[in-house]
Amino acid sequence: MSVFKHEYRAYTGPVTSLPSRIVVLARYALAEAWSSKITVALFIASMIPIVVYLIIIYLANNPIARALILRGNSGGLDINASFFLKVLASQCWLALVLTAWIAPRLVSFDLADNALPILLSHPISRFGYVLGKFIALFSCLSLVTWVPSLLLFAYQGYTSPQPWVNAHLRVAVGLFAGCTLWIALLSILGLALSSWVKWRMVATGCIFAAVLIPAGVGGVVSAILRTKWGLLLNLPVMMSQLWHRLMGVPDSIRFGRDIPSTAIAAMLALICFVCVVMLNARIRAREVVRG
Amino acid sequence: MIELDGLEVRLGGRTVLDGLTGELRGNAIGLLGPNGAGKSTLINTLLGFHEPARGAARVFGLDTRRDRARIRQGIGYMPENDSFIGNMSGVRFVRFMAELAGLPPGEALERAHEALFYVGLGEVRYRKISTYSLGMKQLIKLAQALAHGPRLLILDEPTNGLDPMARQRMIQTIQEIRKEGSIRLLISSHLLRDIDETCDEVLILKQGRVAALRNIEEERRSNRNFIEMETVGSTAEFCERLRGLGCECASFPDGRVKLVMPDTIDVRDVYVLASENKIEIRRINRRRDSLEDIFLRAMESEPARGDLVSI
Repeated sequence: MSVFKHEYRAYTGPVTSLPSRIVVLARYALAEAWSSKITVALFIASMIPIVVYLIIIYLANNPIARALILRGNSGGLDINASFFLKVLASQCWLALVLTAWIAPRLVSFDLADNALPILLSHPISRFGYVLGKFIALFSCLSLVTWVPSLLLFAYQGYTSPQPWVNAHLRVAVGLFAGCTLWIALLSILGLALSSWVKWRMVATGCIFAAVLIPAGVGGVVSAILRTKWGLLLNLPVMMSQLWHRLMGVPDSIRFGRDIPSTAIAAMLALICFVCVVMLNARIRAREVVRG
Repeated sequence: MIELDGLEVRLGGRTVLDGLTGELRGNAIGLLGPNGAGKSTLINTLLGFHEPARGAARVFGLDTRRDRARIRQGIGYMPENDSFIGNMSGVRFVRFMAELAGLPPGEALERAHEALFYVGLGEVRYRKISTYSLGMKQLIKLAQALAHGPRLLILDEPTNGLDPMARQRMIQTIQEIRKEGSIRLLISSHLLRDIDETCDEVLILKQGRVAALRNIEEERRSNRNFIEMETVGSTAEFCERLRGLGCECASFPDGRVKLVMPDTIDVRDVYVLASENKIEIRRINRRRDSLEDIFLRAMESEPARGDLVSI
């Protein structure tokens, strides 16, 4: 099968290992995600808060710059767990926006043209397919969440005149754990919802709706039944409480409104389980050509 | 190449494949059957998408249940319906599929270009697939199935929706692949002519069972020429002389004559004999035992369940 002879030639060369096929899927999914200018624009927008936080850390640790720019007023420039909690929260909400844009691009093109029968006729399983897409989305979200957050942490450790890092190691661990939990949840949720909606823009709306509408419903349930358990439907509140606990920052939530960590963990596990079931059902239904 | 051992597949509580047993060893196997006979289910089972409820299917000696990945490694699959990523260019799509099949990126790119030229899409390989015509979309599916050099190529309705020119080109390409010899073919089609032109074996399914498994080449070789004539004049001596040429002949009182000609005899010889015996031939109808006859006979007969059929 050479171009000039137009003849078929059997392939006799080396073959890659089975697990590496998942990386192939992830690589092509990443390329698909970054082929959109909107993805690049959103990524740049997600980096703006990081630049602002970087300047704050610089000013907090540089007395001369502080004297010149802030004229000696250093109020609000304490770099501690609360500061990094703000970093985590802002980046994690930007990650939601990025998920709403990228996740539908990774799945809907495959579904729109019924590509799953061909894709899955290759030596790759349903799990491998989802894992490849998950890795791609998780990698994109990592670039705007825990990677820049930990770089800020490292920069603070480097510029701080006192031995700062050892005293705040829990902040770094909390940053990493809080971000990875959130983006893992967003990735699986984004893929599951995108797999059920054929149109990308609708899928984008569904991802926002899946986070915000149950939050509203949870608020109504809590108000009417006078119970805190309605908050289990409120993903932003649940995650905020979890982040506070992971970073060791005192929670400012009203007394009696805090949810036990085990309940939050169980709710997150339930959401992930539902998403996996949705993905499995959808891909199973689309993997074969129905005669 | 393909072994079916009492294969039973149930989907949604309904038995779709019912105790298929047989061995397919030919280079190009046609899969025939009416709608709902179980052709696509058999293909999907061979690819490992459906698990057998009972029995087993083996491809290259590997069990479809346990060795799914290894079987898929050696198979190129061209599905019946549209199945591609419309947002990708032709060459990128074929390269992607080749990489998924295990080719290193560099090799995959090279083979993608070659496969696209081979099927006749070389000039449009950088265009997005969504802009391709129906015929081109069929060809890109064939290209991706070929790119990784499979041992078995499964083509599901390869000429579906093609115009006569595109169909002819597809048939020629399949014939070339068969002639080359390194790939075995399993072709599912509703069109008997497609199977007739491309396959040397045919597996006919009916109601999820094997209705017939025939070697088309052997059938062709054993084919006999049937001729039916309407004549005016005395046919007794005419028939005697036809028998003398080696024909089997039967005459009827209304002047009808039926004969089976050996391949060595030409119809012209019949005309010559008729002229010599002063017989007027008013009508002559010649027909060969075709794949259509094999198919129709299979449809009339009761399909076998569990009987071993092999060629």
